[in-house]
Amino acid sequence: MEQKKELNFTSPSFGKRLKGMLGVDFYRLFHTPLFYIFLAIAAIIPAMILGMTGIENAQGIVEPMYTNTWQVIAAQNPLYVVSSIAEYANMNMVFIFGGIMVSIFIGHDYKSGYVKQLFTTHPKKQDYMLSKTIIGAFSMTCMCITYLFGTILAGLFVGASFSVNIGSLICAILGKMIMSLGWASLFVFLNIIFRKYFAISIASSFFFGTGILIVGAAAILGNSSILNIFLYGSSVFACLSSNILTLVTCLIVSIAWSVIYNILGTHILNKSDVY
Amino acid sequence: MNAIEIRDLKKSFRGMYALNGLNMTVPVGSIYGFIGENGSGKSTTEKLICGHLIKDSGTIKLFGKDYTDAGVRVKVGALIENAGCFPGSSVYTNLMMQAINLGIENPDDEILRVLKIVRMEEHAKLKFKKCSLGMKQRIGIAMALLGSPVLLILDEPINGLDTDGMRIMREILVDITKNYNCTVLISSHILGELEKIATHYGIIRQGKMIQELTAKEMESRARIFVSIKTKDMQGALKILKQKHNNVRQEGEYIKVYDIEDTENIIRYLIENGHIVNEVKKNKVGLEEYYIELMSKKEGE
Repeated sequence: MEQKKELNFTSPSFGKRLKGMLGVDFYRLFHTPLFYIFLAIAAIIPAMILGMTGIENAQGIVEPMYTNTWQVIAAQNPLYVVSSIAEYANMNMVFIFGGIMVSIFIGHDYKSGYVKQLFTTHPKKQDYMLSKTIIGAFSMTCMCITYLFGTILAGLFVGASFSVNIGSLICAILGKMIMSLGWASLFVFLNIIFRKYFAISIASSFFFGTGILIVGAAAILGNSSILNIFLYGSSVFACLSSNILTLVTCLIVSIAWSVIYNILGTHILNKSDVY
Repeated sequence: MNAIEIRDLKKSFRGMYALNGLNMTVPVGSIYGFIGENGSGKSTTEKLICGHLIKDSGTIKLFGKDYTDAGVRVKVGALIENAGCFPGSSVYTNLMMQAINLGIENPDDEILRVLKIVRMEEHAKLKFKKCSLGMKQRIGIAMALLGSPVLLILDEPINGLDTDGMRIMREILVDITKNYNCTVLISSHILGELEKIATHYGIIRQGKMIQELTAKEMESRARIFVSIKTKDMQGALKILKQKHNNVRQEGEYIKVYDIEDTENIIRYLIENGHIVNEVKKNKVGLEEYYIELMSKKEGE
C-alpha cells in the first residue's frame, strides 16, 4: 500500500546536530579498537620509561634516570629548554599519542568515505570540527588517566620515590588534562588541512605534538614565561610546582587556541571541497 | 514543486569547467535517470547537490529550499561512488552510526527496516569488508534510506553488479519510489537497466544539460525499424528505396525505418528476385536515442 508522506522540513537545532555528531563519534570510539590501543600505549610507555631507562655515572655505573615516580608526570619546574630526555619525557607525550590517534580517527572518515555520508545529511562543518575536537580532548584526557595508572604501577614496581606536593601534582595533572582540548583542536585543524594526505596528517600531528618548535624557540629565548601562550608552553607550565594560577593559564590558553583552530578549520571546510 | 531545481550551475577544477551553466529539474516522486559520457559532469552535479563540493556559481534548490538547509538535508540520502562504510566494522555498526547521526529514535527498528528493503537482514553482523560488491552497494542504499529520505541520490549504483544483482537493485528502486514516495536521482551507464525504471531522463554533455524528457516523451520518440540482410545489398537497397521513404544501409544491415510489417517487406524483396538472409524487427530505445544524440555535434 502506498505510504504517501507530507513533505515537512524542520531544521534540527545546533544542539541536536552536535548531539548526533558526538553520538556517532563516541559510538565509533568505543566500538573500534583504536581508542583502547592508545589507552594501553599511554599506560605502557611511562612504565617502560620508568623501569627501563638509565644513565651512566662517572664511575660507569648505570643509575635509574628517574629517582622520583612523579618526574614521569611532569618536571619539577617549567623547563622549556630541555637538556636530556629525562626533562622531556613526561605526561606531555600523551599529546603526541593523541595527535596520532586523532589523525587515524579523522583519516578513516575520509578513507572510508564516511565523511560523505555525514555531509550529505544535516551536519554542518562546524559541528564536525567541534565534535572531533571534543572526542580528541576526551581521548587524551582518558590517556592522561591511564598514563597516571601506568606511572604509579611502574613506580611501585621499580621502587621509585613517591614524595611530592600532592596539591601541585593534582594541579599539574588537571592542567595537562585541560590542555587536551587545545591540543585536540590543533590536531583536528592539521588533519583538516592535510585531509587528502593521510601520511602527512600523521607526520604533522607528530611533529607539532612533540612541541619541537617551542623547544627550539626556548633555545633562543630561554625559559621565558611568554612561551606559555602556546599549547606546548602551557603544557610544560603544568609542572610539579603548579598552583591554581597554572590551571587558570592552561584553561585560558587551551580554550583560546581551541576557538581559533575551530574557526580556522570550519572556514577551510566551508570554502573547500570535502574530498 | 520540484525535488531538485538547478539553475546556471558552474563548477570548475583548476580553471577547467566541469559544469558550465547546468540547468536541471527533477520532479517530486520521479526516478530521474541522469545520463552522460564519462567526464560529462554527472558525478560532479551529484556531489554538488550532496554538498561534497563547493559550487562556483548558480543555484541549487531542494524542495524549494536552498540545498544547504539542514531541514532538507536531513531528508536526503546518497550513494556516491561507494557506501561510505568503515570496512572493519559490521554492517549493523555502520548503519547504527548513521542512525545516531540522523537522530533516529528507534535505531534498531529502523536498521532492520532498511536491511529488509535491501534484502540484507541476514547479514547485519557481517563485517563490511567481507561483503561482496553487490552487497556493499545494497548496504550503501540501506545507509541512504535510513531516516526515510525524500530524496535519494545514487551514483552508478548498478555498476559492476551481475544480472541478478541488477534485478534486485531495480526491484529495490521501484519499491522505494512506489511505496515510500521518494524521489530518486540515478546516474548510470547501463542504459538498458535505467530504461526499465526511469520516469524522467536528463542527458548531460560537457557540463551542460542538453535534454530533459519524460519516459513518455522518450517512448513517443522511439522509432521502429526493420533490419534486413540480403545477398545483394545494393540491389535490395535500390528496390526498397522505391517503395519506402526512410531506408538506409547501416553497417551490414539495410534498415527500413518507421515500419514493422516484415512480411510485406520480405514478399516485396522476393518478388523482385532478392534472397533474404536475415530479417529483424527493432525499436530505437534509450541507448540508441542517446547514441544518436551524442553523435550530433554541439549546437546541431
